[in-house]
Amino acid sequence: MKLPYEKPAIHKLQSGLMNKFGRSPAYARRVREHIEDVPIEDLVGEFGSPLYVYSEREIRRKHREMYSAFSTRYPNVVFGWSYKTNYLQAICGIMHQEGSIAEVVSQMEYEKARAFGIPGDQIIFNGPHKSLEILEKAVTEGATINIDHMDEVYDLEQIADKLGQTIRIGIRLNLDAGIYPQWSRFGFNLESGQAYDAVKRISNGGKLELNGVHCHIGTFVTEPQGYAIQVRKMVAFGYEMEDTFGFSMEYIDIGGGFPSWNRLKSSYLASDIAVPPIDEFAEEATRALTKSLRPGDFPKLILESGRALVDDAGYLVSTLVASKRLPDGTRAYVLDAGVNLLHTANWYKFNIEVDRVVSGINENSVIYGPLCMNIDVLDEGVYLPPLSRGTRLTFSPVGAYNNTQWMQFIEYRPNCVLIGPEGQVDVIREAEDLSDIHRRERLPERLALGQ
Amino acid sequence: MKDHFKAIFCSYAEIFFFQSGWLGALIFVMTLVNPFVALCGILSVVAAYLFAKFIRMESVYLESGYYTYNPLLVGLSLGYILEVSPLMVFFVISAGILAFMVTILMANIFATYLRLPILSLPFVLCSSLTYLASRRYSNLLVAWESRASYTPEFLSDLFSHLPQWLSGYFESFGAILFLPSVLVGMVFCVLVLGYSRILFFLSILGYYVGTGVRALLLGSSQQAFGDIASFNFILIAMALGGVYLIPSPRSYLIATVAVVVSILVLDSIEVFMSYYTIPAFTLPFNLVSLGFIFVLGILRYSGMAVCVGATPEETLENHLADKLRYHGEQQRTLHLPFSGPWKVWQGFDSGWTHKANYKYAYDFVIVDEEGNNCRGTGEKVDDFYCFDKPVLSPIRGRVIRVTNNLPDNPIGKVDEANNWGNLVILEDPRGFYVEISHFKFESLEVSEGDWVERGTILGRCGNSGYSPQPHLHIQIQGSDKIGAETLPFSFVSYVDDNIYFANDLPDEKRRIEPLFVDKRLDGMTTFLLNDVIRFDILKEGEVIDELRLEIKSALDGTFYFETLLGRLYFGKHEGTFYFYRVEGRDRWLPLLFLAMPRLPLAHKPGMVWSDFVPVGLTTTGFQRVLARFASAFLPDFARVQVNQKFRTSNIVEAVIQPGGRQFERKAIVTLDTKLGLASVKIDHFEFRRIKDEKKQPVFVPAGTRQESW
Repeated sequence: MKLPYEKPAIHKLQSGLMNKFGRSPAYARRVREHIEDVPIEDLVGEFGSPLYVYSEREIRRKHREMYSAFSTRYPNVVFGWSYKTNYLQAICGIMHQEGSIAEVVSQMEYEKARAFGIPGDQIIFNGPHKSLEILEKAVTEGATINIDHMDEVYDLEQIADKLGQTIRIGIRLNLDAGIYPQWSRFGFNLESGQAYDAVKRISNGGKLELNGVHCHIGTFVTEPQGYAIQVRKMVAFGYEMEDTFGFSMEYIDIGGGFPSWNRLKSSYLASDIAVPPIDEFAEEATRALTKSLRPGDFPKLILESGRALVDDAGYLVSTLVASKRLPDGTRAYVLDAGVNLLHTANWYKFNIEVDRVVSGINENSVIYGPLCMNIDVLDEGVYLPPLSRGTRLTFSPVGAYNNTQWMQFIEYRPNCVLIGPEGQVDVIREAEDLSDIHRRERLPERLALGQ
Repeated sequence: MKDHFKAIFCSYAEIFFFQSGWLGALIFVMTLVNPFVALCGILSVVAAYLFAKFIRMESVYLESGYYTYNPLLVGLSLGYILEVSPLMVFFVISAGILAFMVTILMANIFATYLRLPILSLPFVLCSSLTYLASRRYSNLLVAWESRASYTPEFLSDLFSHLPQWLSGYFESFGAILFLPSVLVGMVFCVLVLGYSRILFFLSILGYYVGTGVRALLLGSSQQAFGDIASFNFILIAMALGGVYLIPSPRSYLIATVAVVVSILVLDSIEVFMSYYTIPAFTLPFNLVSLGFIFVLGILRYSGMAVCVGATPEETLENHLADKLRYHGEQQRTLHLPFSGPWKVWQGFDSGWTHKANYKYAYDFVIVDEEGNNCRGTGEKVDDFYCFDKPVLSPIRGRVIRVTNNLPDNPIGKVDEANNWGNLVILEDPRGFYVEISHFKFESLEVSEGDWVERGTILGRCGNSGYSPQPHLHIQIQGSDKIGAETLPFSFVSYVDDNIYFANDLPDEKRRIEPLFVDKRLDGMTTFLLNDVIRFDILKEGEVIDELRLEIKSALDGTFYFETLLGRLYFGKHEGTFYFYRVEGRDRWLPLLFLAMPRLPLAHKPGMVWSDFVPVGLTTTGFQRVLARFASAFLPDFARVQVNQKFRTSNIVEAVIQPGGRQFERKAIVTLDTKLGLASVKIDHFEFRRIKDEKKQPVFVPAGTRQESW
């Protein structure tokens, strides 16, 4: 039998032993032929490349796992689906079907949730920029509003006067939970007394009524203890507000920031070692909560998880369009998907899988996207066997923040599909064409080309 | 004064199991056809009433006529035989007071020792005594010939043409008040028919079964139909078939059997008493009815009327609605002892260990989407999802007993020496003990003597004791001993597949999740005593009426909204707000009830629940009469389901589905954090809350107060 041709390569000699994480760079093979039992080749054949693929089963499994982890430890748990993580309607639909309410941070997201049919009282409205117009709408529709700064208090008091009613609000805190970097730009600082002063001001105003506390300690937090510290501080603050100002702490919103199985570029360890399971976060947060709450008091525990629910369910399938060798001898590949589609490549080192078994030695390779921009690098160094043109490379996990932060830049944005529980594949966002790009443009007549 | 009249006339009404002063007054008027009877009756009952007042009996006890109808009957019975004379007046007054005293005496003895009503037993006793005594008093003129009641001549001609089987029925009816006349009987019949179709039906059933069988036994229909003592049959049928038992084909059959049995009693009593020239009075009725009620009660017959309504129709209607509405226990209710969705592994009286003395117990485990209760092959206890999960207190109460030091068994092994494993026994102030078993080794966070609130973490689910795999076991028992006999209970406030259950028993294999009271909903459904809330009632946008509700509390501590015309009872029980029942004639209160028969005090998006309401709320006129009569035979006639759901956390939708061909009706209730019940839309009406003028009390925060010093 004729052996397949292997391109020659010069490679640094290694002892051949596995490293301490059990993975040999020389021989590790990452092959993915299917997503949820649907062959990648079929997906690309039908929907083109690049292609975003989501697994409905995985999203639901994650949601249930996480809800179960928290709800079996604390009796009054509500999930608010963080729209900014992924607001494709199909994804939101799954989350809402699983029982999540909506967590939005802008007028656009608020309107998106309403347009989806989510009633106002099932929307949590956060964020530093809420226009007067949308704020008033949110008030009349009964949304849960967490204030971010003093100017918002003035806006809300103005609305309260206009509507002739008191408005119920939550206050966003920032605090030191031992997590680095400490997020201090949102909300009111707890330790400095800024938050207390704000509540005192709100109480004196008499137009707003505090009924909840909110805090979000960071993103991709890998230290469960941080949530315990956060919860203890929030409950103590909430009770202080109850006792001092007569407000009622109806909910404690601990935000999100829970990690997925992704791997931060800064992380030396693989994600299955670096990232604690969600049960540990749930255990820490709820234990701290039940220990610090007064007997018989069970305010709503709200979680605004995004990444932890959807990241692992998203894949980006791309196609190798060219390979080259850089002047320093490094292998380089050009794909049809780049940072235009994979914004999170800036901080994650993705799991990159090849669609077939390729023999030959793994070589340190750079992955470039299709943009005519120097910064369009998806991975600066990944061990890959010699790949030929047309090979499909699958990036994962990419479910969080990419379909909201991707840009229409140089290239069209591709199809997004969802693989349903029965293996059915539905397009949930169509690929763009020129009409999408031109739709909003207005060309003054004098600039149009002549007939 | 009005109250006194009402109390007196209610005594007249009680004789026919009516609860209405007006009907009583009508009956009184009818007694005037025989002035002697009327006079003695009123003398006796007034004497008893005044005496009761004199010894300062509280008017609450007197206003229903319950303690004074026996004296009334004694008076009527004396009027039947005595001539008018000053001595007679004295005699009747004495007899009335005697009857009253005997009533109180017997009522207490019967209620305490036998748990029975007294019916007209005091009357039988006192009338027999006075009849016997009167024979000695030669100055007392006794007319031993019974005197006919007055009947206008043209009517008596007409009545004489009535066949005996019909006139006998009417005369018997009249004879209940010692007025054996066709005219009086007819009027009473009409009253009964107007008051309750079920009672009327029973009177016919009782009379004709009793006299029919008796005619066969006596060999003479003339004798059977001619004996006015046949009213005993009527009373037995009414009391058993409609008053003390819930009307149903079964109760009608029991009433029929009782009537047949009573023939023997009647004849033997007549033979015996005639020796002393005393009639049987209502003795057969009393003996047979009380006997049946006692026996059925002691055997826990399920069709006993627990809550006797004003009419059998009402008893039936409330019973049918209650049966559909309330499933669980009233007292022994538990919240689920965990958080989040768990699966019922074993329920009552089932599986392999919940048997015999231990049949009232529940086991729970956690399962994943595929229905597995563990990860992988489940070889270690920590592979099981429920292992190490918090176990919460299902009640507020005190920790009585704790075991904490038994090891968790390896999977598949059990600890036969310590069946119950690590456990907690809690004492509930309502008078029972809750036992929870199989805690994880040394996981208990409470100790003996601790007070726990509902939801306090007791410990962690484990695998100690007779437990082959981690699970949670809960039961209620009558004592604090480990291994005591279990008692039935039910779970309150939980969700199964987004359907809310207020108080029920979940089936095995169901995945259920407890709900905790939401402070906001709880606050919106809290009504302060003596507050007044007002609604504009709009029809097609026009204000047509104003509804003014005052919040009041009844003697037993239940709350109600009061209007000038009626009451709407409401309350909260274990996490659910209920409207319980409507009284009176207010046209708006039933609509409020229909719009939101119950409300879970916890919100889950899209959560649905259903309730049932008494059929009287959705029907009127002839339709109501028909539905109420027919529902004794076909309970579905009284099945009015109300399906409710949260449209938002403040808006509750209801679809009312009356049986039969009636259309569905829709209602929308809007709650508001400030106003509570803000608006109710039902049919084409809208109840819109009128904001109070007065300002809300301003809360002065402690912090600012200090500063202003």
